[in-house]
Amino acid sequence: MNLYEFEGKQLFKDAGIATPKGVVVRREDDIAVAYNSIGGDVVVKAQVLSGKRGKNGGIVFCRTVEEVETAVAQLFAAEIRNQHVAFVLIEQKIDISSEAYLSITYDSTARQPVLVYSAEGGMDIEDVSEDKIQKIPLSITQETIDTDIPFANELWQCFLQNDCRVAEINPLVTTSAGEHVAADAKIALDDDAFYRHEEWSTFEPRTMMGRPPTEREIAVQEIDKGEKYYQGTAGKYIEMDGDIAIIFSGGGASIAAMDALMQAGLKPANYTEYSGNPPREKVAALAKIVLQKPGLRGLWMAGAVANFTNVKETFQGIVDALDEVKPAYPIVVRRAGPFDAAGMALLKECAERNDLDIVMFGKEVSVGETVQTLIEKVNA
Amino acid sequence: MAILLNKKTKILIQGITGKEGQRAAQAMIEYGSNVVGGVRPGKAGEEVLGKPVFNTVQDAVDALGPIDISVIYVPPFAAKGAIMEAIDAGIPVINTIIERVPIKDTAICLEAAKKKGVQLIGPSSLGFIAPGIGRVGVVGGQKQQVEEIYTPGSIGIISRSGGMTNEIAWQVKKAGLGQSTAVHVGGDLLMGTTYADLLIQFEKDEQTKAVIIFGEHGGSYEFEIAELIEQKKFTKPLAIYIGGKFASSLPEGMNIGHAGAIVEKGKGVVEKEAALKKVGVMIANTYEELVTLIKPYAN
Repeated sequence: MNLYEFEGKQLFKDAGIATPKGVVVRREDDIAVAYNSIGGDVVVKAQVLSGKRGKNGGIVFCRTVEEVETAVAQLFAAEIRNQHVAFVLIEQKIDISSEAYLSITYDSTARQPVLVYSAEGGMDIEDVSEDKIQKIPLSITQETIDTDIPFANELWQCFLQNDCRVAEINPLVTTSAGEHVAADAKIALDDDAFYRHEEWSTFEPRTMMGRPPTEREIAVQEIDKGEKYYQGTAGKYIEMDGDIAIIFSGGGASIAAMDALMQAGLKPANYTEYSGNPPREKVAALAKIVLQKPGLRGLWMAGAVANFTNVKETFQGIVDALDEVKPAYPIVVRRAGPFDAAGMALLKECAERNDLDIVMFGKEVSVGETVQTLIEKVNA
Repeated sequence: MAILLNKKTKILIQGITGKEGQRAAQAMIEYGSNVVGGVRPGKAGEEVLGKPVFNTVQDAVDALGPIDISVIYVPPFAAKGAIMEAIDAGIPVINTIIERVPIKDTAICLEAAKKKGVQLIGPSSLGFIAPGIGRVGVVGGQKQQVEEIYTPGSIGIISRSGGMTNEIAWQVKKAGLGQSTAVHVGGDLLMGTTYADLLIQFEKDEQTKAVIIFGEHGGSYEFEIAELIEQKKFTKPLAIYIGGKFASSLPEGMNIGHAGAIVEKGKGVVEKEAALKKVGVMIANTYEELVTLIKPYAN
């Protein structure tokens, strides 16, 4: 889960990293009261999850309550790089002498954490030349880092204690008075560590897609609600703007199939994948949402030769959804694995009683090959 | 000969009394793997499918002699403890099947394994199969299916995806070829065993004549392959498919901050394919092409 700046700064504060005095406001809050708790020159910052906010009008400098009210209203009305603005942070303006960059993340090549520091930081960090960027490999078991880089040790503690994937301070400001302040915070948490972080349950739900979740995306999230470990097994649903409904099984197969679909020039209406061994009801709930999106021209259900997913059981859920929705558009299926013959038989019966336009393939045909059938059907 | 496994390889299952552990024990035994026992704290003296259960890995080693591979089927929150226990007991290969192990825990295990020269496979690895010899985990599924898909042969398979391990193996079989060993390395950010690690093992294996890889976008493990080939540490024909080109059409925002971009600078799918092409790796545009590309080199 990615954190908003104000949430990240709270973790920074807890770890002893100085941050500017600030207050978070929502749409319904009294902006004047919020501003007056800080006063003077302030920075008004849209809270969004993607970067390059400063270059996209998401940061406004203000000197009076009127200016702040106008700026906050504008930010709430705007979208920053297609992202809905749910919160605005009003912060004391700091007197910047220089801007550095500091982060800790995992280096997948070295397979260990790495600290990245550059004395030149700020908005254009990705353009700073390699030789000015210091990378210090870290042992996951080392308690301290032997360095003069400001806040390096505080950030390391923050990274370890909060199970971060990324903890980044950019810019790491040095004020004219010589003090160090984290002017921004970017933190990504490792969702898999949820069980040792009860405090994470207080974070508000968010989408990682840079836009508010759609109705259907929210409905799919509801299917897995209450599940602890098996979240996501009943499926992911990312809404897209094409017209081919997608139900894929298995992460790798879904990636290969999406590539094949796009290469064939078809446009997906969604990206959906279920894996593990989800129960019938969950598959049915997921399929109903996928099948009922308006404007569909076809459905492609594909998966690899499953290792242990029970094809009959999961198809039972698909059949439940098809019985209810009775789609008029063509359906192409490619699936194999345990109990696939029984699963295909169920699907065939369902197609007959509902008069569905369906073509089914087992492992005799590959996933990619069935795209051609889909094209023919959709364009017929 | 295959890699990682022979008929005598002694396999221990940590978490053998759980539902997944029992199913895995059954799958391994019926395919001919030499499962010697299992571990579950507090259940010493019990048996699963006729195999003895011990309280600790060390107890199992004391009773059964040196163990070659331990397979981890404990819940995610217990994974670090189980892996560290196996490392401390001197087990040389540890295959972590379980998914959703926190990255920090994986990093701790990787560091300990590196110090002791232990090979970790996974986390989130379904395991691997050496056709005609045995399997670790449930790769291939039920007996009838695994026998239909897997047959001993000359093609080594490495996959980031469990389902695609099977799918690729099936394409190999359908093309009239067989597999030497098929390994699911798992899709985690930090991989215990990388493509490069396995390629070194496949290089030494006489049965393996060529290797195919199903890769995914993200991470930078493909660059290690290019380095390996440049250093002549892997010299056999290799075909790779890197999936996930569609991901660039998804809404932005999956990455946060610049740290990833700085650490992984210039390491996208395009750069990966270019680096691999340069050292003679065959690049497949679809996964089906993998077999077409490798078939001329199978003998």
